[in-house]
Amino acid sequence: MVQPNFSRRSVLTALAASPVVASAAAQAAADLSASGLVGTLQGPTMILDPAKWPKKFQEAPMLAELVKAGKLPPVEQRIPAEPMVWQPLNEIGKYGGTWRRAFTGPADGENANRINASDKPLFWNASGDKIVPCVAKFYELSDDGKIYTLHLRKGMRWSDGAPFTADDFAFWFQDIYNNREIVPTPTPQMEPQGKPGRIVKVDETTVRWEFDVPYYLFEELMAGDTAVGGGQAVRQAAKVSFGSYAPAHYLKQFLPKYSSLEAVNKRAKDEGFENWIQMLHFKKDWQLNTEVPTLGPWRTVKPINNPIWLLERNPYYYAVDTAGNQLPYIDRVQLTLGQDLEVINLRAMAGEYDLQERHIDLSKLPVLLDNQEKGNYKVHLDLGFAGADFLMQVNQSFDGDKEIAKWLKTADFRRALSLGIDRDQINETFFLGVGVPGSPAPAESLPTFPGAEWRKKWSTHDPVTANKMLDAIGLTKKDSEGFRLRTDNGERLRIQVLAIQAFMPYPKMSEMVADHWRKIGIQADVKEVERGLGFTKAANNEQQIFIWNNGGTEFLYLFPVHAIPVDPQQAFMGTKHGQYYASGGTKGEKPDDPNILKIWELFTAASSLKAEGRNKNAQEIWKILVDQQYGIGTVGQSPAGLGVRLVSNKLGNIAGRVCNAQHCRTPGSSHAETWYFKS
Amino acid sequence: MSDVTAESRVAIASQRQLIWWRFRKHKLALVSATIVLLFYLVAAFADTIAYSAPFDTEAARSYIPPQPIHWFDAEGHFRPHVFALKGKRDPRTFKLAYAPDPSEPRDLVLFGHGYGYKLFGLFPTDRHLLGVSNGRPQDALFLLGTDQLGRDVFSRLVLATQTSLTIGLVGVTLSLLLGILLGGISGLYGGWLDLGIQRLIEILRSIPTIPLWMGLAAAVPNTWSSQKVYFAITIIISLIGWTELARVVRGRFLALREEDFITAAELCGASRMRIIFKHMVPSFLSHIIAAVSLALPAMIISETTLSFLGLGLRPPAISWGVLLQDAQNLQTLGLAPWLLVVALPVIVVILAFNFLGDGLRDAADPYG
Repeated sequence: MVQPNFSRRSVLTALAASPVVASAAAQAAADLSASGLVGTLQGPTMILDPAKWPKKFQEAPMLAELVKAGKLPPVEQRIPAEPMVWQPLNEIGKYGGTWRRAFTGPADGENANRINASDKPLFWNASGDKIVPCVAKFYELSDDGKIYTLHLRKGMRWSDGAPFTADDFAFWFQDIYNNREIVPTPTPQMEPQGKPGRIVKVDETTVRWEFDVPYYLFEELMAGDTAVGGGQAVRQAAKVSFGSYAPAHYLKQFLPKYSSLEAVNKRAKDEGFENWIQMLHFKKDWQLNTEVPTLGPWRTVKPINNPIWLLERNPYYYAVDTAGNQLPYIDRVQLTLGQDLEVINLRAMAGEYDLQERHIDLSKLPVLLDNQEKGNYKVHLDLGFAGADFLMQVNQSFDGDKEIAKWLKTADFRRALSLGIDRDQINETFFLGVGVPGSPAPAESLPTFPGAEWRKKWSTHDPVTANKMLDAIGLTKKDSEGFRLRTDNGERLRIQVLAIQAFMPYPKMSEMVADHWRKIGIQADVKEVERGLGFTKAANNEQQIFIWNNGGTEFLYLFPVHAIPVDPQQAFMGTKHGQYYASGGTKGEKPDDPNILKIWELFTAASSLKAEGRNKNAQEIWKILVDQQYGIGTVGQSPAGLGVRLVSNKLGNIAGRVCNAQHCRTPGSSHAETWYFKS
Repeated sequence: MSDVTAESRVAIASQRQLIWWRFRKHKLALVSATIVLLFYLVAAFADTIAYSAPFDTEAARSYIPPQPIHWFDAEGHFRPHVFALKGKRDPRTFKLAYAPDPSEPRDLVLFGHGYGYKLFGLFPTDRHLLGVSNGRPQDALFLLGTDQLGRDVFSRLVLATQTSLTIGLVGVTLSLLLGILLGGISGLYGGWLDLGIQRLIEILRSIPTIPLWMGLAAAVPNTWSSQKVYFAITIIISLIGWTELARVVRGRFLALREEDFITAAELCGASRMRIIFKHMVPSFLSHIIAAVSLALPAMIISETTLSFLGLGLRPPAISWGVLLQDAQNLQTLGLAPWLLVVALPVIVVILAFNFLGDGLRDAADPYG
């Protein structure tokens, strides 16, 4: 076997380059110690010292049979010369078993995308505070921040056995990403400050990204859940074509460049597609097409549009444990359709799933705990890092009603609304007291947290001050029931709150807020809408106040969408402003609020700053956001989204706490390939 | 009149008396009539009978189980009271446990003070049928427990009764108007009008109702306030309800227009309208009443079904369907089974209406 030939120093340098998070473990969460449900953030350890790597390899019995039958080359030839080596959390595991899980249908592709997250170029460690190697064994960054070099693993292979090389990156860049028929709009992540970057193949295992301006943020993007760093599973599904690399040897046959337009279109017609682009979107989608080569631990053998979405081990998966066993330990992942969340929760309680953290409802926690023994599972709570698991975004570009729009744009009106909310009530009722009430700013442990005073700023319950502020801005007249009146026609001022039933019972939670606002004389009409309709309404700028969470914004630059208006579709706090930003000023509407312009300036400038400067900008942005209350935070850092984890007692190497955050691809950074069935 | 036999009493009794006598015999119908009457009394005085403001949320009151009333005090005197409750969340099970505090008894009083409302929408008052001697009733009284938001289930149930029963009533009234009008026209004029209306009825009746309602309810604009939705739902429900009534009315018209007394009225030169409303309608009024009492439960069930499916009324509106939908989850079964109590009045009132309708139908034709 070929000895890995990169120095230990270079890896460590790469790792040290990114102290993005101070310490995620020191979180100012509610006291949950008595519950015994919140463990320590932990996971398998990546062994970076080649001297400690195993020299001999073993494989799963089901693969050994195929080798014996001559259908598969021996394991030594399938594992890269420079594999990813894991020291499992507790012990070396055993091969075998089927991991039973629930999914909610073809739209729930993220369900298994996330457990295949080790197909990303770089990744975060299990506690989510350090960038670590993944598909790439390490990376280098030039001092001026313009050149990134990714070093791939020697001898790494796709799930069909073909070599995975720098060509796959060059192919994606030239033939997929730069083809406007396939990718109509390039991603801003490849164009820092509007200047497109390039991907260049250096040699078989070396790829270089070249930018015209300093782009220090790029390392985070390459590790985060982003268009450039998301990996193949998530970024080349659902008709999206990002992800930085693609299986060139397989996809070339579907591109006109490598045969002819007529040939590919004819093939598309023959196979029942409208044209070659539709065919390509299908062919590269790992959830639908069982033939597309992948890099993750499991590949699809029964597509997602079936009642059972079945995954099976990738015989060429590039990771091994310290004893030389090729991972994953578990043979298959079987996702069973459960369209109704109540049904999924009920089945979970009956012990029909081996590990399920998705679609488990926090408000059912007492019942879930009651059934632990009967269902032979254990409940873990994985606290999140986002500041608001129930966020009320106030639309700054609303133009449906002049009077309403005026108030929504008035800072003191928003602050008064925020002061009128009794957050402890919401925390107790819906979060069972486990969340952190306050502003939407991210967890205290993160370096982007602006400072202790910003958790409570405008975010306490103070109806007296709120009433005074509302009086002071001119909403003095009230009707017989004590509700404040509009200043234009003397009718009751009614604010519409748009709430979707997702993640949490948002409509019901909004009803509680409406009840609190009654005490400051504000009538809120809670409007429950179906998810698709709600998003359409928001995209059409029809929302006054929109309910969602700000999950992911704890890493502001990786996922800013629900913190600042930058997205053309989901800028709930200013649809037209989001369109304006995303289109570079050609669409939408320029905000007249200087604070939003300031936020944009800080955000845009951050991409060329090093970590320290970026964090400072993020802090400044959060200060403005909290002070202005464009998004009214209520309760955050809870396990409400993906954080109630039911784990069968049969499973081993399970972490006490999993990093529950967008950038960790929960449970991706815990590396499910190291889990195993003890019996 | 003491020597008059039952036979001769029947001979001289008015139609009204005959119907009453006949109805009286149907004991089940009589009981049902009382129940229905009681329900409508509750609906009329909903705000008086409820004691807690239906939207008043409070985390410290979440999922309180139904509370027992203590009728006698420690000395054995009759003194109905409840105890103040202290709630605490168990840090291990995450359940809220409530313990009564015997040092803080709250006496129950009649016509105590509570939240403010307008009786019949006219007279402002804060008196409620039940109250507590000290403090607000929403902090002390939980006869049927509370829901997740700490809202009193009994009070919400009472207000839901108001909504659901009036929707039924308004819906039936609308159906009745449509039914008599179209059925009357159909029966009286016959010909192509009759043909058209009858085919329309057949088409409407051939469409499965639930999908039709779902379609119509989905067409209700999302921007409408809950009051508007309420009326839209009523109209949607009655749009189908009228067909049955129209058939009944048409049948009676067809039968009656051949009768001698109608011919007599016609010969006397009475106008069409006079004939319909003075001569024909009274003679089949009893049938209509019976049909209405059978149509009402169907209306109520329709509203409840639609709201339960999330297509009819939606929170913050309160109706039986809305409350039932609220109880449609695992934690209700596990943690707060008392939320399912809503199903009880639905069953009782529907059964009562059906028995009442049955009795009325029998009584409507006292010679039959």
